[in-house]
Amino acid sequence: MAGRGKLIAVIGDEDTCTGFLLGGIGELNKNRKPNFLVVEKDTSITEIEETFKSFLARNDIGIILINQFIAEMIRHAIDAHMQSIPAVLEIPSKEHPYDASKDSILRRAKGMFSAEDFR
Amino acid sequence: MVGEKLDGSALLVDEKLLHFMDQLELLEEKRVALNSLIEQGWLSISKARYSMGNKQVSALQYASEIEPLVCVHARTLDNGEVDFFTKKVEQSCSNETEKDTSSVEDIGPQEEGVRRRIKPKSDKTNKDACEEERSEKTPEVTPVRQKEHSPQQDPLKWFGILVPQSLKQAQSSFKQVIELSAEIATLQTAMLKTRQELVDSMKNKQALQEKIPAAQSDQTVE
Repeated sequence: MAGRGKLIAVIGDEDTCTGFLLGGIGELNKNRKPNFLVVEKDTSITEIEETFKSFLARNDIGIILINQFIAEMIRHAIDAHMQSIPAVLEIPSKEHPYDASKDSILRRAKGMFSAEDFR
Repeated sequence: MVGEKLDGSALLVDEKLLHFMDQLELLEEKRVALNSLIEQGWLSISKARYSMGNKQVSALQYASEIEPLVCVHARTLDNGEVDFFTKKVEQSCSNETEKDTSSVEDIGPQEEGVRRRIKPKSDKTNKDACEEERSEKTPEVTPVRQKEHSPQQDPLKWFGILVPQSLKQAQSSFKQVIELSAEIATLQTAMLKTRQELVDSMKNKQALQEKIPAAQSDQTVE
């Protein structure tokens, strides 16, 4: 709680990152590591996954915002994250509207009434 | 006895379920608001791009030094929920970081005083006197650092001095999105907590239900 608080990280397309950086969440730390990743057409899934995992490992990040279509690419990594900090938020992108049925958190909530929960 | 417990447990399950549904509804509302604000932001960025030129609003325009203007604070509550809230980074924070960076990056002599000069060996007495004087007075030149107190740069300036109104609108939309995303993050963690509690109380209720037939059979035997 002490200090300046935590950062908000973004993994998204150019416009999403530009928008959030305009909002003032961007940071380049002393090691020149940014808290955002602009995903282009040629960005590999491995790179996205590594960046996501590095954001999870950083203790100065409180929330990770990720475009849902990118989240779909690394769904296993998102589903494996069970801690509440950093919180992972899936957001829509220009070409892909938000679909609640794909959201990790809502799927977890939906699974509440399944038989597996009572075992 | 078991029946009373079962009633209590059933009530608790109902209560938790209603709470869970309320949270879900609230999350849905906030999600809708977030999505429409993001869409508005994109539209404004596209308008700005239209008026400024295609390459004027892109990742290439990001500054080489970026400092956050907004931070999120995460506070763990007594019941295990996490409360996220955004806060603007104050100038003092940026000064701290400036201090840090300057301590790392400063290279070269830091003295700003006059350096010693070699005197001609004209007369010894004069020289001795000078040395005495020096030993008495020799000022330890304290390094004076002039800090540049540059204010935190507004990200709007990355894209030019006179940016179109639409880019400002995009900025304000995304600022709202950032605040809303902190609220959604809080709600998500609260919802998952409620879900876990609900699952636990449902299991508890089921265990009690299994006990009832056993208790009834005991009574019939007696």
